[in-house]
Amino acid sequence: MTTLPPPGGAEAPLPPPDPTIDTRNERLDDGVNRCPKCGATEIQLRPSVGMLVCLFCRHEWAEARLAETVADGDLAELRGTTLGSGATDIDADVSSLITMKCAGCAAEVVVNTAEQMGARCHWCRHVLTVNEQVPNGAVPDAVLPFGITHAAAVEKIREFAGKRRTFADRAFVREFTPENVVGVYMPYMVIDANASADVAGFGEVETRRYTRGTDDNKETVYDADIYEVHRHIDFTADDLTIEASAARALMDASMNTNNIINSILPFDTENAVKWNASYLTGFTSEKRDQNVVETTPELEHQLLSIARAQVESSIGAYDRGVRWERERLQVHGTRWLTMYLPVWLYSYHHVEGGRGMVHYIAVNGRTGEVMGSVPISTPRLLAAAISVGFVLEGVVLAILAAAG
Amino acid sequence: MSAMLLAANDSGPIWLLLLGPAAGGGFYYGWWRFYRNTDKSHAFERETRVQAKPITGQDAKVDEVRGTRRSSIDGANHGNHRERVQRVE
Repeated sequence: MTTLPPPGGAEAPLPPPDPTIDTRNERLDDGVNRCPKCGATEIQLRPSVGMLVCLFCRHEWAEARLAETVADGDLAELRGTTLGSGATDIDADVSSLITMKCAGCAAEVVVNTAEQMGARCHWCRHVLTVNEQVPNGAVPDAVLPFGITHAAAVEKIREFAGKRRTFADRAFVREFTPENVVGVYMPYMVIDANASADVAGFGEVETRRYTRGTDDNKETVYDADIYEVHRHIDFTADDLTIEASAARALMDASMNTNNIINSILPFDTENAVKWNASYLTGFTSEKRDQNVVETTPELEHQLLSIARAQVESSIGAYDRGVRWERERLQVHGTRWLTMYLPVWLYSYHHVEGGRGMVHYIAVNGRTGEVMGSVPISTPRLLAAAISVGFVLEGVVLAILAAAG
Repeated sequence: MSAMLLAANDSGPIWLLLLGPAAGGGFYYGWWRFYRNTDKSHAFERETRVQAKPITGQDAKVDEVRGTRRSSIDGANHGNHRERVQRVE
């Protein structure tokens, strides 16, 4: 068993001067997002340009990019834990129901943030949107607006499924309606990290390769030198993106197809803008239910994986490979922001063997990257596989017969 | 068929007979994976912006192995970055 040297850089992490980054959009705290030109509240996202558009005067504008309003700083200087004001712990006592006072007529309007982030005042028809960062996970630090239109997403899903038609479940093919794709803002933790990692194990270098035995009993054997190997790396990771919804973070391919949504990452999170609920108009969203503490194990797993990937370039001399046995991670500093990231989602509930599973085809709402799971017609695929096996076996038997 | 098996024994490698079932199994698995994509996930190791200082470390020869039939080290995991090993504090 290998040993690791004592942790290096024994510096105690200095707490950041201000552990919270204020990401509130104070301009919208009264819940009314007015068009800067005409004052109307009928506002929604125009995905083809990624801008908010006033439905009355067609004026287009955008919120400021979060990266422009929040100082990024040198990640190598990051110490302690810094949170965006939208990434603070969810308070279980805070209800999903928010009562807003309409700025137009002073009526009180209730919004259920578990389902929507805005409502129309039933008296004066003002559109009220939830922009205040209440600690129930509904309002993140930033939102990355959809940049791929519904029509483009439909086309990508149609193309993806079209390549997977022959062995697809027949009911799926019959009921395939890509126009039903839904635009969803998914909650994510976007994390910058400054860390160090150590890995230790054994590596082997081939010194000789030769053949032993005679005739039919020949075998290749090897001589090798064994080395104890240790590597240390200091690194920063920018915008690691981790699911902040427990249901979405659970990735078990035997039970769900959540890995499909995960595989369309990454997003251009550096272009995320300050929160404005009008970006969600016409789309659905899923509320964050994971805090920093629940997401930390996945962050550490990703940091260790990155460290292992980084040190691979330094072990090329070990031509027989390396067996890592121990690893250590020191996280010096992290910065956490919550974001809503845009996903076009086509879902299909398929029951097989009495067990139901939702199959997703997902399109990254920014890059257009598409991935999906298409339910299979087992009898069709099995019949084709058996046919291929039989044909090849026939060819083999013919060759053997000819040789005999 | 039995005549064929005898012929295979006498004149050719019998493992050729396994090609048919293997091809059928490979066909099934390959297409199943193409449709279901259960192996796909975000390649965060490659797709994250990482800035690293130069890697440091030590290498010390501790032993030799002679005449092994293994073509690589036992338990090689240098390419499987997500396989966690013993965590040390």
